[in-house]
Amino acid sequence: MDPYREQVQDVFRDVFDDPSLMLKDEMTADDIIGWDSLAHINLIIAIERRLRVRFATAEISRLKENGANIASLLDLVTRKRKSSG
Amino acid sequence: MSPDSLSFLVPLLVVAAVFFYLPGLRWRQGLFAVCNGAFLYLLLPNRSSWAALVLFLASGYGMARLLNRWPNRMLLWTYLVILVGAFAVLRQYDLVMALLPTSVLVRAVSIVGVSYMLFRQIQFIVDTMQGQVEHLSVWNYLNYQVNLFTLLAGPIQRYQEFQQQWDVLAPVLKDGHAVRAAYLRLLIGVIKMTALAPVFLGLYKNSARVLLTAGSGGAGLQPGLAVEHFFGILYFFPLYLYLNFSGYCDIVIAGARFVGVRLPENFDRPYLSRNIIDYWTRWHRTLGFWIRDYLFFPLYRAIATRRPEQAESLAFLCYFVAFFVAGVWHGPEANFVLYGLFQGVGVSVAKLWERHLLKRRGRGGLREYLESPRVRVASILGTLHFACFSLLFFPVGINTTLQMLRTVWDAVV
Repeated sequence: MDPYREQVQDVFRDVFDDPSLMLKDEMTADDIIGWDSLAHINLIIAIERRLRVRFATAEISRLKENGANIASLLDLVTRKRKSSG
Repeated sequence: MSPDSLSFLVPLLVVAAVFFYLPGLRWRQGLFAVCNGAFLYLLLPNRSSWAALVLFLASGYGMARLLNRWPNRMLLWTYLVILVGAFAVLRQYDLVMALLPTSVLVRAVSIVGVSYMLFRQIQFIVDTMQGQVEHLSVWNYLNYQVNLFTLLAGPIQRYQEFQQQWDVLAPVLKDGHAVRAAYLRLLIGVIKMTALAPVFLGLYKNSARVLLTAGSGGAGLQPGLAVEHFFGILYFFPLYLYLNFSGYCDIVIAGARFVGVRLPENFDRPYLSRNIIDYWTRWHRTLGFWIRDYLFFPLYRAIATRRPEQAESLAFLCYFVAFFVAGVWHGPEANFVLYGLFQGVGVSVAKLWERHLLKRRGRGGLREYLESPRVRVASILGTLHFACFSLLFFPVGINTTLQMLRTVWDAVV
């Protein structure tokens, strides 16, 4: 279980204004209605605030590429949290 | 030299055959680098252009090294302002040229593909400063920037992606099927560029000529003929542009695969997009993604971090800034600015409509709406016509386009 899954899920629920949203590893932007570029950067900003991490431009971009999913996001968040101590 | 010409294709096929049998990484990189150099040699017109290119590339690599060691946002911004200023001078933007006393000297300098180099340079520097480039190498960087397959008109490949392949440069077409698929794509690209695209360009030019010569009153044009030629300028230029540019991309993507490099795709059935936001993820994708990542995201993040309560409405300002830059990047003339602003309007309307639907129908209702086949067809047709209409302003000046539209209007109304 990812240690930050619940917090990231809360962020998703806030950003997409959908309290019933449940994150699954294989979910991608195509699975969530409205997950476009603006929603993506809103998610990133909200996760940065909530978990006190900072994403680089290339990382934000990679999370929007084909093949990126919730598992890649959680993995990156975990690595960021570890490196920030 | 155009990629659909024999002077490009014949050497490419020879190099591809030689590349396949070269024994090691250094030989393969060496051959690739020689081809890059030879291609540049054929395209740069004089010594001052070479000097400007060397300065452009050296400054980029030097700045990346500096910022990698001492990350500093102020230094980055200062360099970016100078870099974009130099680009505006090289591309001879009217506003800049009016301020320059040495404009005659600048006119002698011409760097082919400088618009694409600029975006690659910015990406390389920003990512290096943010620790996203694993190791810096001047050899890799130079070959990345002057890669003959992306030099003229993209696709805008990211440095990390290029480096990953360059470091292990080897044939990637593993079997006969892959080789045949690459040849087929090359052939399709050549057919698109040389046989299909010119037909539609000819039809567009014919319609444009008729509308322009009919006179501003449209006195000599029957309404039916005016409508016919309106559809001519509306549909044929977008068709030409798609066939020409996607054909070009087919050739360079297939060509690069012959020598071990996988380039990103630039098109994904753009005229089947559901809205303009979708369109910019399918049309000239690598430009759209670059604008999104290195312009829209940082700008919106800066605004949303400082003024979170106003972020929702200021996002629209960011759309317009991003597409204004995309428009200006295409060229210094006012019609490109207008083209960019059209895209800003299209993206904003798509976003506002989505918000309206979300508010009125909720998330489930929005899903149902998006899944409706009728809505899908209507969205695709609407987006296609918006994209075609905005492209009316792409090939010629604003006044010329308005003159053509006025002729149609006068004849019909």
